[in-house]
Amino acid sequence: MTRIALDLTINGELHQVMVELHWSLLQVLRGELGLVGTKENCLEAECGVCTVLLDGKAVNSCILLAHQCRGRSIVTIEGLGDPEHLHPLQAAFIECGAVQCGYCIPGMILTAKSFLDECRGRVPTEPEIREALSGTLCRCTGYQKIVDAVALAARRMEERHE
Amino acid sequence: MGFEFHAPATIDAAIALAQTHGAAARFIAGGTDLVIQIRRRRLAPQHLISLSGLGLDTITETSAEHAIGATVTHNDVVFHPAFQRELIALTEASAVVGGRQVRNIATVGGNIVNASPAADLVPVLLALDAEVDLVGTNGVRSLPLDRFLLDRGRTDRRDDEVLTRVRFAKPPAASASCFLKAGRRKAMEISVICVAAHLTGKAGAGFAEARIAVGAAASRTFRVPDAEAAVAARGEAAFAEAGRLAARAASPIDDVRASARYRRLLVTTLVERALRRCRDRLKQAGR
Amino acid sequence: MSSLARRVAGRRLNRIDGVGKVTGRHVYAADFSLPGMLFGKVLRSTEARARIVRLDVAKARALPGVRCILTASDLPALRFGTAVKDRAVLADGEVRFVGEAIAAVAATSLEIAEQAVRLIEIEYETLPAVFDPEQAIARGAPLVHEHWDRYAALPVFDRLGNMPGRCSMTHGDVEAAFASAYRIYEHRFSTQLVHPGYTEPRAAVASWDGNGDLVVWANTQLPFDMKNMLAEILDLPARKVRVIVPGIGGGFGGKLRVGVEHFAAWLARKSGRPVKVMTTSEEELLDAYPRQPTIVELKTGVSRDGRLVARKGRVIVDCGAYANSGPPTVAIALQVLAGPYRSANLALEGIAAYTNKGSTGSFRAPAGPMANFAVESQIDIIADDLGIDPLELRLRNVFREGDEGPAGEKVVGVSIEECLTKAADAIGWKDRKPSQGRGKGIACSWWLTTGGSSGVYVKINPEGTVSLVSGAVEIGTGALTGAAQILAEELAVDLTDIDVTDVDTEVAPFDHGAQGSRTAFSVGNACRIAAADLRRQIFAIAAQQWGVAPEDMVLQDKGVVLGNKRMSLAEVASLSQRSGGGLISHGTAIQPMPAHDPSRVKNHPLPAWTSPSFHAHATEVSVDQATGEITIERYVVVQDVGFAINPTYIEGQIEGGVAQGIGQALSEEIVYAEGRVLNANLTDYKMPTAMDAPRVDCILVEHPSINGPYGAKGVGEPPCIQPPAAIANAVAAATGVRVHALPITAEKIALALHGEEK
Repeated sequence: MTRIALDLTINGELHQVMVELHWSLLQVLRGELGLVGTKENCLEAECGVCTVLLDGKAVNSCILLAHQCRGRSIVTIEGLGDPEHLHPLQAAFIECGAVQCGYCIPGMILTAKSFLDECRGRVPTEPEIREALSGTLCRCTGYQKIVDAVALAARRMEERHE
Repeated sequence: MGFEFHAPATIDAAIALAQTHGAAARFIAGGTDLVIQIRRRRLAPQHLISLSGLGLDTITETSAEHAIGATVTHNDVVFHPAFQRELIALTEASAVVGGRQVRNIATVGGNIVNASPAADLVPVLLALDAEVDLVGTNGVRSLPLDRFLLDRGRTDRRDDEVLTRVRFAKPPAASASCFLKAGRRKAMEISVICVAAHLTGKAGAGFAEARIAVGAAASRTFRVPDAEAAVAARGEAAFAEAGRLAARAASPIDDVRASARYRRLLVTTLVERALRRCRDRLKQAGR
Repeated sequence: MSSLARRVAGRRLNRIDGVGKVTGRHVYAADFSLPGMLFGKVLRSTEARARIVRLDVAKARALPGVRCILTASDLPALRFGTAVKDRAVLADGEVRFVGEAIAAVAATSLEIAEQAVRLIEIEYETLPAVFDPEQAIARGAPLVHEHWDRYAALPVFDRLGNMPGRCSMTHGDVEAAFASAYRIYEHRFSTQLVHPGYTEPRAAVASWDGNGDLVVWANTQLPFDMKNMLAEILDLPARKVRVIVPGIGGGFGGKLRVGVEHFAAWLARKSGRPVKVMTTSEEELLDAYPRQPTIVELKTGVSRDGRLVARKGRVIVDCGAYANSGPPTVAIALQVLAGPYRSANLALEGIAAYTNKGSTGSFRAPAGPMANFAVESQIDIIADDLGIDPLELRLRNVFREGDEGPAGEKVVGVSIEECLTKAADAIGWKDRKPSQGRGKGIACSWWLTTGGSSGVYVKINPEGTVSLVSGAVEIGTGALTGAAQILAEELAVDLTDIDVTDVDTEVAPFDHGAQGSRTAFSVGNACRIAAADLRRQIFAIAAQQWGVAPEDMVLQDKGVVLGNKRMSLAEVASLSQRSGGGLISHGTAIQPMPAHDPSRVKNHPLPAWTSPSFHAHATEVSVDQATGEITIERYVVVQDVGFAINPTYIEGQIEGGVAQGIGQALSEEIVYAEGRVLNANLTDYKMPTAMDAPRVDCILVEHPSINGPYGAKGVGEPPCIQPPAAIANAVAAATGVRVHALPITAEKIALALHGEEK
């Protein structure tokens, strides 16, 4: 099949990839760009492990066509922090014991980041956090420590006015 | 599963593309349902015509009505201040479409045009007597949502027509709305039953207006005129009867999500409950 | 931290692999790839029971990009399996369930492979099928395996026709006891098919090297078992198979056995290229290792003062078309059914049944939730009938220390009374008031800490770090962090000084696998043994250096100390490396099997439980009387963990296990109709979301085991056992509706409350 050049801005960098028109953003991230931090599972927007930020908002990259992302800004887990400079969410997830197998964690952290950014510094309640995360499934943790981690990160980010 | 992906710059260009490719083309807004249907091989369009970037993504209002552009996302609706103030049912319905990630992409127009009997926003829009605007090669037309929706997955839209907006009159100050949904878990659900209600208060018994819409209980979302008339005439005393009338009007199916019998029971319960909640909201607002 | 916490073990420390996971750098098998890799897809049966009359791959083979297509005729005719060798890699002439693998394709892209699968032409001749396990075991049922008697199987299993395993546990005289019982209760319960629900699909990359050796990177919980199984399937000596686990996104017992590794291996062998195969969500719900649906019939006799005097029961597990772990699972069901209760007279029977549905496996606590749902529901029914408090009825009958278990073994480390009492207190059991739509329920259980051996190599490096080479996979529980905490404790270093390697069967010592709640326990024990030997080596070197005897030396603060003499471990390691090859040791551990009375059990592979744990759950629910919707208002778990190696990750196991149990209790089910799955997707296979899972109050009891490291007991499986029964009991208290068949859906409650619709 023919491939078409597509410019995608990912984690602040411009990438030119040759993609087939029906490819999802997830396929491009994992298959073409080797960014395997974004995970694949149901491929039907039911589990959320493929979540990335599109112009700052959490979206399922498995059902977004790569071409729908032309000219928009994408952030994956690789763009959120690194081992030496963890984002407050990443640090909180570790501290609260919210990470078990870890497969849902990149999607979960980005889902949480999108939500906390929408909160604009306000510390959300537990029911609000649960509702915001309900599109990303975790099978290991029962969500409790994930919710605690998001709340902790929210408090810290509020203190730092991030 | 190959297709061409077109990103036209104007609505006219989009319509022209649709006319050129006919049944081989589909419009795509968010694509959250369309892409999945293509993946599952239930649909095989050869051309996708993107409706993004055509200026259909705004919520506007005049003194008389609200208008939601077709590519407004569900999350846009959830966070719209005017809706949060005056039309909470709209936000309640938009807030339970899929998960948050889906709501950041999926659109109001898509929810309508898909015409799933379980579409969450449709009962609310139907209860608001919404109208849809369409643009096609034959020009512009508007029709009530109630006439636009035909059956499961079918609307009155022609292949070359783009749904551009859905509009509804601003509700009177003394009115309240409510949306309720039942599913097998508390999030990420395709409705087993969903119900929207809208009441406009008046002095004395009854209500100036009562509107009830039921989703996922028939092959399309429907209003319940006899229940509405009963509630308008007799007020709260008719709430339970309204539930029963709505259940009688329903023709639910048995499927892996629920039995028809349970769906009918839910219609009865949720209609009554939605009406009560509207009544409570009216009281809270001092009406 | 643990009430028995030490310097490292017992503390809430950060897991050792957390940073990689939160930054997206941790590589899972699903992420793994090799240059030049092909992609494999499998053609799966659309018939539940049929003969394949035509299978034509010509068009598929001709598709550009296709490098290899395999059908049964391309492979040696052999059958593999755990209890029974009843399964072929690709269906040979006949299919036994919808979703069974018939052909495998490798191509240069996944899309081409999928397209090729669609081009394979196939015609079936339908054969009589059986979908109901009770029908399957009745006389005259069509045989799911016509030649079942030709299959090799483990001799412990008693097989006949559509029953790949029958077993029993009996003692005393139940009939006499029933004859003199005050009351007798007979009930039937059933549970449904549920999927482990891991978020990472099963994945494997297989590659053959120039020597004809196979390397497989896979997300398996049992790399050594996988190695042996692949060797058997590929007709190779085991020495030519190497299994590496890069990372695994959840297993829960669903990634124990061969899933896609054999497809990848065969496609790689025939194509000469590395091949990657992954499952889709649909394939997971058609052909994976879900929990067996179960039917339990339980007859219990009680004395006037509420003692359980006799129990007769029959458990049928529906294995699906291939036995896999059905036969051992139904055997374990018997111990769960006996419960943590004294049983004077017992006659329990277990039957594994074949049906023409997808195969099943060992999802977390196999048999646990199913049998517990029956026994703990019934005891509440009994309590209600006798007018005795359900808590009190349990307390009257539970084990005391040293009691006889169902197989005559001595049950030790018993803490069930404490667990029940604490759970009841925490939920406010005494404050129960009858209230429409609100109710409390309790359920208790016991479970084993699976045996099997674990080996580790431990080396102390000249830079002061400690390398732990274990054959056990970290599946997410934090078990390897726990084992490392134990090792750090023993060697007087910090947890952050320990590096744990990925599992590679070529270099790691054997481990029985990350299953059965055994990992932290067993690897921890092996670490203690290895550490003891390292201490001996360290003291010998220090003794030589200082010219003293090694007695009275201790390890302290990353060094060896004697009086005011001190040498760092790094220094000792360096010395050792220069002169003697380095500080390295090997540790192994295995639990002794408790003695039991063999006359009480027939055909039971695991009659006596090692290092049992005890636990009680208590919950308060509210039920919407009109819609039947159930909300879990409070959930309490009291679990005896022996020694809480790392309370944070133990809580994680409890919170996660309860969520899975709630899924089984309320919303999950793989629904079959006439042999077809109606909901093979995550839209309609409904696992709990963040809005469905309640907060769980975890209360850890530390009643030390004899055999566990620092007294630890197995932790991972138990939390998913009791939720169905606890919730069923709470719902019954809230509504008067007693559900005997899982899941307890809002529909069942609403229709029960409202009878016929008007």
